[in-house]
Amino acid sequence: MNVRYMPHAHIDGAAISLLNAYGRQQGQITHPPVPADEIMECHLRLSLLFDDLRKKFDDPSVLGAMRVDRREVLIDQSLDPYGNPSLKGRYRFTIAHEIGHWILHREQFEMALSAPLLDSEKGPSIICRSSHKKPRIELQADRFAAYLLMPVEMVRAQWEIVTGSREPYVAEKEIRDLAERYRLAESEQRPTVEVAKRMAETFEVSGQAMQIRLVELNLILTKQPPRTLFG
Amino acid sequence: MAGNPAFGSYIRKLREKRKLTDPSFSLRRFAETIGISPTFLSKIETGELDPPAPARIKKMAELLEVNADDLLILADKFDPELKEIIKDQPKAMADFLRTARDVNLSEEGLRKITEQIRKLKH
Repeated sequence: MNVRYMPHAHIDGAAISLLNAYGRQQGQITHPPVPADEIMECHLRLSLLFDDLRKKFDDPSVLGAMRVDRREVLIDQSLDPYGNPSLKGRYRFTIAHEIGHWILHREQFEMALSAPLLDSEKGPSIICRSSHKKPRIELQADRFAAYLLMPVEMVRAQWEIVTGSREPYVAEKEIRDLAERYRLAESEQRPTVEVAKRMAETFEVSGQAMQIRLVELNLILTKQPPRTLFG
Repeated sequence: MAGNPAFGSYIRKLREKRKLTDPSFSLRRFAETIGISPTFLSKIETGELDPPAPARIKKMAELLEVNADDLLILADKFDPELKEIIKDQPKAMADFLRTARDVNLSEEGLRKITEQIRKLKH
């Protein structure tokens, strides 16, 4: 399905207002981790199901899916946090990603389902794959997930607790050292720095997701900032 | 495994009603309390897999506030406690049960006798 461009601020706003609405119902979330599955199940009243999606769709990259008309979210059983606690971050991110579809794209799917020209599909309306070239709809849901699990205020507050300051960390050298140690090519993903790993534990997300968010918020700088005239 | 859709959908219906006001009834947390994986619970609920062991069914009944025996019957399971009850008085208890069966007591009749026995306690 084709979706329109959405400004980041719009996606961020949608995530924040969901957190606030959940907070009014169940009590404000003041500390990480953000209870993603409870927001989905208790507040949005969606059903969560685990299934062998990778086998059912004969595609190892399928980790989540949604049946909009049945209000069901399906997660691949390889992400079950009971059997694979080390993948808890990915489980939570996938849940938050599906919430993103529900919040950002639901209306379009409902319209598509009620359109008489379309056959009503028996299968899920959205199938989410982890691949490198994601369509826009998937990127929007990913962005929503990051904003929901790592809201800016919470990240900044936690950053101050963990690093003892509000100042950004220049990670250029650490990233270079890690890349050398693991012999990573320039084109590959950046290795995760220590402070991102520590924050990731608190937010219960993957180190990579945490690092991307910290870079985005300019709390981790991947390059030494240029010296200003007065610096 | 054949699965038991009647049991599964009953559990899911009760749990989903409770989860709206109590997050401990979310799929993951309810499964955790029962002592099974969320995947197992999910597949029990959809009827893909059979109900869990009797002890876990009894725990489900307790949390969902329904009668444990009713839930065990729905799951086509047998409370293992009954085995212990017979073991404690292997001769007398077995005789008691066989007699009740042999005289072809109706459910109503059994209930009346049970009520009388209960009164003996006081």
